Amino acid sequence: MGFVRLVVFGFVGLSILYLCISVYSRSVRREKLEKAWDEENVGSDDLASRNAYVEKGIAAYNNSFRPKLIGLVYVIPTVIVMVIVYTTNTN
Amino acid sequence: MHRLKITFRVIAFTVFGLFLHYVLPQHDVVKITSTEIIRTDFSGFNRIFYAQADSGAVEQPTRDLRLINTDKKKTFLLGFMPRDKTEVMVYRNEDTGWIWPPYFKFDSSDLQAESASVARGDSWAVITHYGWRVRWASIYPNAIAVKLLDSPDVRVIPWFNIFFFGFLIVGIAFLRAMWMQFRERSIDPLIDSAEDRFDEASADIAEQKGRVTRWLGTWKKKS
Repeated sequence: MGFVRLVVFGFVGLSILYLCISVYSRSVRREKLEKAWDEENVGSDDLASRNAYVEKGIAAYNNSFRPKLIGLVYVIPTVIVMVIVYTTNTN
Repeated sequence: MHRLKITFRVIAFTVFGLFLHYVLPQHDVVKITSTEIIRTDFSGFNRIFYAQADSGAVEQPTRDLRLINTDKKKTFLLGFMPRDKTEVMVYRNEDTGWIWPPYFKFDSSDLQAESASVARGDSWAVITHYGWRVRWASIYPNAIAVKLLDSPDVRVIPWFNIFFFGFLIVGIAFLRAMWMQFRERSIDPLIDSAEDRFDEASADIAEQKGRVTRWLGTWKKKS
């Protein structure tokens, strides 16, 4: 029963963390893209091309390997728990 | 207000520090003198300082508690400065199970056997434990592991705690960065647009006022 509780609450907690990190990571990426466009087109206010550039960059980011690394949020705690279980219970 | 803030921070910091001091593993250099089992009836107050029944067993209001009796080397500064004096220390030996604190300990019986075996000899050992000994509330620290020593003069490096605090600092820095990003990208623009609207509204009011005073001005005598 304790194990089920750990899995359920752990999954819920880690999912919240996963969502937060993926939103954060995408937001940082978007800011970087906006700044890159602003630097290349100083003084221009062609919002349509700016948006297109940012959306293209975000789409490239979504298809890249980086956002998949956030899945480690689930993997690392599981591995840590397994290591602790092993080290605590062997003598 | 400033003083209230400081008081609140000091209290929060102290509670957090005490919590970590209770939960994080510590190492004691001990001579195990005996092991025993006592029947324990928990009170509502000291119940939270005990774990649950052995992880395969069912929870009852009263149960047997494994204890490890030792002579412990005294220390200063949370164990960082060893001393020559010894004192008596009693550890409980309970499964922490799957939940809290996350030691995932299921081998209490094995640990008890190990301790009994160490108690037969006269050698020193390191006991890893968490928790406090509070005599007036009958609270014991929970032993996690026993390791035999050649001599009592050892310096145990708390690797787990080093990594834990390193990770804690990184985690707090990361959460802070996340919060700043959220504020910069999501909250500040909202506030800006609200301020803009407020500015427009007050400009409107000023303009209307201007119209009214101008109209009133037309009634004034022209000089």
